[in-house]
Amino acid sequence: MTHTDMDPGTLANVQFRQVGKPLTRTDAPGKVTGRTPYAGDYVMPNMLHMRVLRADIASARLVRLDVSKARALTGVACVLTADDLADRTAATDIPGQTGQKRLDTDQPILVRDRVRYFGEPLALIAAETRDIADHAAELIEFELEPIPGVYDTLEALKPGAPLVYGRDNIVAERKIRKGDVEAGFARADLIVENTYRTPFQEHAFLEPEVGLAWVDENDVVNIRVSTQVIEHFRPIADALGVPHNKVRVRGALVGGGFGGKEDLTVEVYLALLAKQTGRPVRLEYSREDSFVGHGKRHPFILTYRTGVTKEGKITALDVNMIADAGAYVFLSPYVILYALVAAPGPYRVDNLNVFAKAVATNNMYTSAFRGFGALQACAAYEQQMDEIANTLSIDRLKLRRRNFLKTGEPMSTGFVPPSAIWTEQCAEKAWAGLGEPTASDGPIRTGRGLACYQQSYGRLTFLHDTSEAWVGVEMDGTVVVRSGVTDIGAGQISALGQIAVEVLGVTLDNVVIYNSDSAVTPLAGTTTATRALYMTGNAAKQAAEGLRARLAERAAQEFGVTPDEIDMAFNEVFVIDRPEKTMPLVDLVRTCAAEGIHRSELAIFRAPFGDFLDPETGQGQAHPDYAYGAHAVEVSVDVETGEVEVLKSVAAHDVGQCINPAAVEGQIQGGAQNGQGYALSEEMLYEEGRLVTPSFSEYLMPTAMDMPNVECIILESRSGVGPFGAKGIGEPAMTAVAPAIANAVADAIGVRVFEMPITPERVVTALQQRDAS
Amino acid sequence: MPETRTITLRINGREEEGRFPAHRTLLEALRHLGHMEVKCGCEKGDCGACAVLLDGMAVDSCLTLAWMAAGKEITTVSGLGDLDAPHPLQKAFADGGAAQCGYCIPGIIIAAKAIIDEHPEPSEDDIRLGLSGNLCRCTGYTKIFEAIADAADDMRAEGGAP
Amino acid sequence: MYAPFELDIPTTLDGALAALANGGGETVLPIAGGTNLIVDIRAKRERPDRMVGLGEVDELLGMEFGPERISIGGRTTVSDLLRSPEIAHEAPSLIEAARLFGGLMVRNTGTVAGNIASGSPAADLVPPLLTLDAELTLASASATRTLALDDYYLGYKQDARRPDELITRISWPRLPENSANTFYKLARRKGDAITVTGVAVTLSVADGTCSRARIALASVAPVVRRVKEAEAVLEGQALTPALIDEAAEAAASTCTPIDDIRASAGYRRHTVEALTRRLVTQAWDRLA
Repeated sequence: MTHTDMDPGTLANVQFRQVGKPLTRTDAPGKVTGRTPYAGDYVMPNMLHMRVLRADIASARLVRLDVSKARALTGVACVLTADDLADRTAATDIPGQTGQKRLDTDQPILVRDRVRYFGEPLALIAAETRDIADHAAELIEFELEPIPGVYDTLEALKPGAPLVYGRDNIVAERKIRKGDVEAGFARADLIVENTYRTPFQEHAFLEPEVGLAWVDENDVVNIRVSTQVIEHFRPIADALGVPHNKVRVRGALVGGGFGGKEDLTVEVYLALLAKQTGRPVRLEYSREDSFVGHGKRHPFILTYRTGVTKEGKITALDVNMIADAGAYVFLSPYVILYALVAAPGPYRVDNLNVFAKAVATNNMYTSAFRGFGALQACAAYEQQMDEIANTLSIDRLKLRRRNFLKTGEPMSTGFVPPSAIWTEQCAEKAWAGLGEPTASDGPIRTGRGLACYQQSYGRLTFLHDTSEAWVGVEMDGTVVVRSGVTDIGAGQISALGQIAVEVLGVTLDNVVIYNSDSAVTPLAGTTTATRALYMTGNAAKQAAEGLRARLAERAAQEFGVTPDEIDMAFNEVFVIDRPEKTMPLVDLVRTCAAEGIHRSELAIFRAPFGDFLDPETGQGQAHPDYAYGAHAVEVSVDVETGEVEVLKSVAAHDVGQCINPAAVEGQIQGGAQNGQGYALSEEMLYEEGRLVTPSFSEYLMPTAMDMPNVECIILESRSGVGPFGAKGIGEPAMTAVAPAIANAVADAIGVRVFEMPITPERVVTALQQRDAS
Repeated sequence: MPETRTITLRINGREEEGRFPAHRTLLEALRHLGHMEVKCGCEKGDCGACAVLLDGMAVDSCLTLAWMAAGKEITTVSGLGDLDAPHPLQKAFADGGAAQCGYCIPGIIIAAKAIIDEHPEPSEDDIRLGLSGNLCRCTGYTKIFEAIADAADDMRAEGGAP
Repeated sequence: MYAPFELDIPTTLDGALAALANGGGETVLPIAGGTNLIVDIRAKRERPDRMVGLGEVDELLGMEFGPERISIGGRTTVSDLLRSPEIAHEAPSLIEAARLFGGLMVRNTGTVAGNIASGSPAADLVPPLLTLDAELTLASASATRTLALDDYYLGYKQDARRPDELITRISWPRLPENSANTFYKLARRKGDAITVTGVAVTLSVADGTCSRARIALASVAPVVRRVKEAEAVLEGQALTPALIDEAAEAAASTCTPIDDIRASAGYRRHTVEALTRRLVTQAWDRLA
């Protein structure tokens, strides 16, 4: 793929042997034959079965909790309540972060006296069988005295609102002050102001939270768990009050994460009962437990006020965002920071005010979810672009073209992303990819929508992110990769294999990857923030290159050439353009072994380290780099029933460099589904904080009947800061989907539904309101 | 405690005995017997992760009582093929990138087997309708549809593999 | 799942009916596909002491296509309906409902009698069967009786089946020549979803007039029900847009929906009207 935007150096005749090919992922054969053990598939002799008892109202005082009958039940090994715990709390904190969380907002492990959300854990039960644990739960008596709660962010901000904790309900605030917004508005021919609302979203990974814990002969608490973050061994140890080296987290291939297994889930409960009973304990959430057992996507209310010239050039933008943080603070301060940085989208806005606020309520707490605030911002800014285009009667793509941020230009925080910005190319290709329009037919109206995005990859630079990887070559020429990275289904470990074998010139079936063990694999950091390929990929590449350099040096000596004349491919080592000078890799490795030449390499990759954004202006570097792309859809809308069907879904993303195109497409297609559900059908409904959609028969993600075949257009600028110029695709795949659908629905029916999900009823209501006015 | 009964389950061609109470679901019984390839996603028939073939018919094992499966032929995804000799569906899913996190895949491949058994040349509608009880959160289904169509082609080309 | 109950697995209908008759003060429930009951037991909405598994009772299987009537066994599954070309020919509405019924695995085990006996206001097979004038055979150890499906539901989750009875067969008369039989399921997504508004319409046309009209609605009242007020507007008439509007309005004003997590009552009424109008218009246009 070539483009004039590029530094010619990055295009220089790159030839990959393994990278960029849709190879069968290393994890695939085990998964399709049922051989792969997930965290819930491990059992141990003498194992106990756990269950969590939860509060059934959202805001209350715990007046009485009597577990005596449960403890007396035959087969019950242990029942723990807050009274049995030392006064410790447990909550996710980002390692290395700098006090972003307010005091006293950590969630207690078990309710002491105050219940702040529906489903908050009251007691932990361990029993000989699941039946007994379930029976014991029925025998626990508790009394909750309701306390007035607050379930709406705007209500929570009013004077006199019930306090979730502390002195007010404001969890965190962030702002950007850039340029002169008032002057910008004064120059505008038109000011467009709208408020958009986005909903809660459930991750709905198919594998509910699950783990198995035991205390080993060294008094180390081992936890085999489905998690995105094995580095949680530290907060787990802190919660237990034991040294960090006394907790070992072993992951497994994860049955879906999407941010929902980024915070602690079952780990502390397991660890407590394993310590308490001295026996292995297993805890598997039911689906209903899962719905109340991990944080959701933050609902946002986003007000956009945009000044534009009549030609469509944005002169000023003022944004106000309010996010529902729910009942405890997990990652809300960071989620609104992402939303803040993303507020103007992939557009050049020199006069910019953004104010973002996270507000506590007695709703389910909210935390990480694919897109992490930037996605909610995109839902607003891309709908706003269409509203501006419609008001000015300018073509929607043309309006965007007038405003796209270009390569080398400063973004919202004043930072100039180091990579190429190919939003325009992506937008054009996605839009063209829709092909011929489908005609409307009676009450079935068709419409089209486009949305573009900017999404970071890599963590906040003030977190000083690092990743380690180890690559070694065995005596028979096979390769071992060790990385702590968790694989949540995107092919994270297979990509490491593909990178290592590209560098070392072996084939993918010759590599085994060990991952996700906090004690024995080099810590690689979290699988979050679209950082896995960027960080662990770079670390693995660095380690493989270090090893290759040593091997090449020895081979050069053997062949009497310089190391840069050596190449390695297909398990052979040879001199470039000298076919007679070749040897099997295995021979070279044996020579190295005999001579004591180190056949492995441990590398650390460091992301750019930065400071926190200026608190007054929001200026500075927030992330290492950004990804850009676009999503286009065609929908049909039944104007009598309000039903929306997505007919076509086309994505175009600049991924920098594909490591495995099939895996990239998989991410894009999955993101399209995740975003489609968010836009149309997925709805978490609460009544006074009580979740009334607690399972997959009420919470409706798209099925095979609902999804169109998603077309993927992959662009490769080779400009990213990941391995071989890769960017990231995990979060970007989803970011622009929902606003593209919202724009298509508005295009089809001529009126906008300003709140997601765009349910059939909301469509009908919008049409009725338009007809009435 | 309720009555328990020793039942014989015929799983992937082998008879296995277990002692269970009446309320034990087939999903629980299979996992108790070590068939961890049968996954639990919702325990109420919404997600299809626990699907197995019962006398050739795809069922949600979470909605089937173990006692009522006694004497029937139970096939899990591991009964279709293994690493050395994968079923054409398993091969197509692996090579086509249709498995991401993979947790839904044992159930989806079982549903796919049922689809192909009934429609050796499945239309897109046959595939979509046949998968409507299997939720996947990772793939958007596109590669799953393609893998099933590819496997069906392969199986017809090979003259109807089982 | 933790729910201590006893389980009988009889192999004959007599055995099943005898097991149901011997409840003695206990809660005894028949279970066939289990696609509703297991869910309800797990959620503790049902707490049976004993269950009678019907999986081995083959007398409850089988479809008969007589010259006058079609009759299917109570254990006929939703998939059995979908695999039957005769049903596709005779009762297309039932096929439409069956297609969108749950997922493949639920269709393979969920039974027609179970869907009727669930008493759910959203039971998808019931509106089509109501518009076909279906009749149920209810058997107990002591007697067998037939009952119009139209008379079966007494109120929300209340029906005319005694605890010792089974729905053994469901039958309905063949449609007259020149009939249309359709069903529309409106739900929050296409695959495997609980119905928000279900409308079934059966129209027969003779001599240029609508000789018979049946309209039944799901999810817009405590029970699935016919809207006879709307049917009466159409029967005996040559249909016009005005008449069809009147019938659609009658359907909307007669139904008694509630607000729930899926939709509001007002939206349901709106869609009852729109879909009744649409389905009757399409049927009339095709037949007249």
